[in-house]
Amino acid sequence: MSEASFSLAFRLARRELRGGLAGFRIFIACLALGVAAIAGVGSVSSALTRGLSERGQDILGGDLDVRLLQREARPAEYAAFGRDKNEISRTIEMRAMARTDATQSLVELKSVDKAYPLYGAMKLAPDMTMNEALAAKDGVYGAIAEPSLVARLGLKIGDTFKVGSEVFQLRAEIVQEPDRIGDGFALGPRVMINDVSLAATQLLLPGSLASFHYRIKRPENLREAAAIKSYTESLQKEFPDAGWRIQDRSDSAPGLRRFVERVALFLSFVGLTALVVGGVGVANAVKSYLDGKRDVIAIFKSLGAPGALIFRVYLVQVMALAIVGIVLGLAIGAAVPFLLETFAGHLIPVPAALGLYWGPLVLAGAYGVLAALAFAIWPLGRARDVPPTALFRDTIAPTRSYPRAIYIAATVLSLAVLGLLAIFTAERPIFALWFVAGAGLVFLILRVAASLIMDGAKRIKMRSASMRLALANLYRPGAATPAVMLSLGLGLTLLTTVSLIDGNLRAEISKDLLGRAPSFFFVDIQPDQMDRFEAQVRAAPDVTKFERVPMLRGRIVALNGVPADQIKPAANAAWSLQGDRGITYAHAMPDSAKLVQGAWWPDDYKGEELVSFDEELAKGLGLKLGDTITVNVLGRDITAKIANTRVIDWQSMGINFIMIFSPGVLEGAPHSALATVTMEARGEANLERGLAAAFPNVTSVRVKLALEQISLVLSQFSLAVRSTGSVTLLSGVLVLAGAMAAGFRARLRDSVVLKVLGATRLTILGIYVREYLVLGLATALIAAAAGSVASYAVVVTMMQMQWHFLPVTLLSTVVLATLATIVMGLAGTYGALSAPAARRLRGG
Amino acid sequence: MAENIIELKNVMLTLPSQAGPVNILRGIDLAVGRGRTAGLVGPSGSGKSTLLMVLAGLERPSAGTVNVAGEDLTQLNEDGLAKFRRAHVGIVFQSFHLIPTMTALENVAIPLEFAGRADAFDRAEEELKLVGLGHRLTHYPGQLSGGEQQRVALARAVVGDPEILLADEPTGNLDQTTGGDIIELMFDLHTRKNATLLLITHDVTLAERCEQVVHLRDGLIERIDSGQAAQALAKVSI
Repeated sequence: MSEASFSLAFRLARRELRGGLAGFRIFIACLALGVAAIAGVGSVSSALTRGLSERGQDILGGDLDVRLLQREARPAEYAAFGRDKNEISRTIEMRAMARTDATQSLVELKSVDKAYPLYGAMKLAPDMTMNEALAAKDGVYGAIAEPSLVARLGLKIGDTFKVGSEVFQLRAEIVQEPDRIGDGFALGPRVMINDVSLAATQLLLPGSLASFHYRIKRPENLREAAAIKSYTESLQKEFPDAGWRIQDRSDSAPGLRRFVERVALFLSFVGLTALVVGGVGVANAVKSYLDGKRDVIAIFKSLGAPGALIFRVYLVQVMALAIVGIVLGLAIGAAVPFLLETFAGHLIPVPAALGLYWGPLVLAGAYGVLAALAFAIWPLGRARDVPPTALFRDTIAPTRSYPRAIYIAATVLSLAVLGLLAIFTAERPIFALWFVAGAGLVFLILRVAASLIMDGAKRIKMRSASMRLALANLYRPGAATPAVMLSLGLGLTLLTTVSLIDGNLRAEISKDLLGRAPSFFFVDIQPDQMDRFEAQVRAAPDVTKFERVPMLRGRIVALNGVPADQIKPAANAAWSLQGDRGITYAHAMPDSAKLVQGAWWPDDYKGEELVSFDEELAKGLGLKLGDTITVNVLGRDITAKIANTRVIDWQSMGINFIMIFSPGVLEGAPHSALATVTMEARGEANLERGLAAAFPNVTSVRVKLALEQISLVLSQFSLAVRSTGSVTLLSGVLVLAGAMAAGFRARLRDSVVLKVLGATRLTILGIYVREYLVLGLATALIAAAAGSVASYAVVVTMMQMQWHFLPVTLLSTVVLATLATIVMGLAGTYGALSAPAARRLRGG
Repeated sequence: MAENIIELKNVMLTLPSQAGPVNILRGIDLAVGRGRTAGLVGPSGSGKSTLLMVLAGLERPSAGTVNVAGEDLTQLNEDGLAKFRRAHVGIVFQSFHLIPTMTALENVAIPLEFAGRADAFDRAEEELKLVGLGHRLTHYPGQLSGGEQQRVALARAVVGDPEILLADEPTGNLDQTTGGDIIELMFDLHTRKNATLLLITHDVTLAERCEQVVHLRDGLIERIDSGQAAQALAKVSI
């Protein structure tokens, strides 16, 4: 169809756009905001994952890191590490107590050798070499610590403190430790000593929970990924039962990378919601623009333009402006990592590799184009059916509400592609599917609710004229009701959901966990200390409960003889194969155990190794009674048959092991004990101080402090989500402003007529307040209900926690949203109040 | 006798409204010969503009047949009607209806551009020169006087050499002198292009310049008179 060709459409569109961008500012802003949010999150995430990858050697501390639990490398293993002229550095990491006469603190202790660090550099304050910082001077070993420990123990440089049985002198504060973030979540501040002084602490006893890291620096010609991979494979092949975990620099901090990716995934969905909210603004702006172009469209038609050409002319205009918004959004999004690094770099512990990341930008651009199409095609499709008779008279017959089927199909297709893009580009498509389905459902509910409110407002008969007029404003032609409910409603639902999930997590931590959790965990209690330790605890006042179990660390290496790395577990069970787990053994069934399948072994059982396994993990790993689990403990593989499965209440925060072995092999292995103490808070400090003095090798973890640490991480995550979520609300505000601007002329006319009829400005203001009150309240109530359902689904099904009804959170959302609607609505219409009636009536 | 270029038989138009159906045309029979002129007169609401819309294929009748330039308009779809207008009809509106974001030249060129004509701008320039606006080619409607805007509209209506020129109160928004000039120009173009002219007007004197004067009332043709032109033509024949 040559006459309807795009070149003609482009020419006509270009001429049309000479009229300027009036009315499209909101359109551009809505798209720019949504695209900027998605592009920003994607760029930051890419910068962080690239940063982790580029600094892989620093973060890992070598080209490879071989980690062994509770044991050193055997001579043959060590010799293999040194093959190919590799450089080796050994560090030993464990939790311990650092103490002064007055106080003590849990610390993450790390002993290093002279080769440390193989990559990157330590930065100390005051500046000195590691040897100067850690070597013995006048018979006292040196130590360096993070500033938080220095503050916590009230130390200054040169002061001494004890770790285990040894006294150390604080020589410097740690400013930068290159491989710190690779170590993951820390319960305490870092203290570093040298490997000679570690022996003096007497912390390294049989069964101590220490991990031995052998960092390997390959010669330059053998650092290629393929060479490292083949070297790793040779180590695994040569020592199949070593039970070590080998990581290479290509994925130096997998846990952290996964965390960054998951946070980014969640935040990108928040950005997508902002884009969808902005889509409502896009639809409104396009409709408003096309309403103003009815005459031009009618002229085109009367001059012989076919409908398809009309559609194309305006599609070209809309998409041209959409591209302006998208490019603006992409520019902002691309700048976000740089801005974040400049203004909030200190808050992000992960190194960012700043740069332009085309992948996330292209994806965000695609989202922008699809959103623009999805929300513009409908009004554009309606525009093609503007009757040419519009030129001659106001149409008696109402314009059709729905566009032709092809445009409805195109709208549905664009939305579907938008959703599918979100699902298939997500790291976890199932999560994305739920998000998209949930957002779609809420969108539908809000749209139906808007129709019901408009219909209800039409039916309600009010005696008060002000209320009648306020209700009439809700359903008048071109009323802002659907736009406001959709845009603010979706944003509010998201924020309510996030607030309720956050509130529930906090409630879980502050009320449930702290109420049920023990006061202390004590680890590394040696066999010869157990009785004395228990006696000292029980003698202390305020102690209400003491529990003690043997504890070892082990890693699942095979299930039914199939190596763990070849198993594809369910998503909720994958964690059990990813690291080392605490394991124990028991003669009798623990009091708290709840058996689901099978039976517990007799107290005097002596036979093949049996294991009691977590019921849920058994399901996730596809295991049943009689199947075998192989665990590597202290470099030795132990295979046991599943005798029974148990339900574990993780929220009890008590001593929970996914695997409890029958007595036998483990009993003879060197191991320590784990104990929990539950007591009144007032006696905690005294008990901890006393035990630290008597048992310097025993590490105490104060649950309250650990939960506070978790709470802090949660707060930072919550801040990131709320910040991105506020983009959604901002998008909603833009849409509201657009809707107000579109209806301003009608309000101005009403206001003038009402003034002619004797209404004061206060009366008219009262009408507007009532209108926005109804609108804001209805939107907020629906958002509160939808947010509650969504948060319930996440908390109960995904997090498997009890859901708490949080009336204060909900009420504050409802009140704030209603007030915000009233304030923003009035801001948008206040001008109509002050318009001089006479001038308007004269047509001025 | 000239063949009929317009033939309407029992044309009715009823539109729905919230107050119930509105009968706008209630059985119109009309024939206009090729190259002739006809004036449509009648009070407001009599159906003049609607009849013009039906003739232009802008409105579909509820019943009856509409045969214009050999095409049965009731059988054409939306795009067919657009093509019909492009090929056979030029329309002049009371409110000019120029596109504000386009220059005079671009406004006139549009119908030819729709038709895919490569010489659209050359032809538009010629036509604007013909209506005396050769010096205003790059001016936007907002920069032109009312009379100039209507000249542009006239140029746009005839640029495609239509067989039928429809004019709906073309002087309604103009002062008397300017209006007079436009009417002269319109009749001049009708003569030059040998186009059939159908003119809607409240001005009976103006209508009488046409060969036929069609009187409408309440959606019906009340009577058809011969105008001065027809009478003059008759005298010449005698």
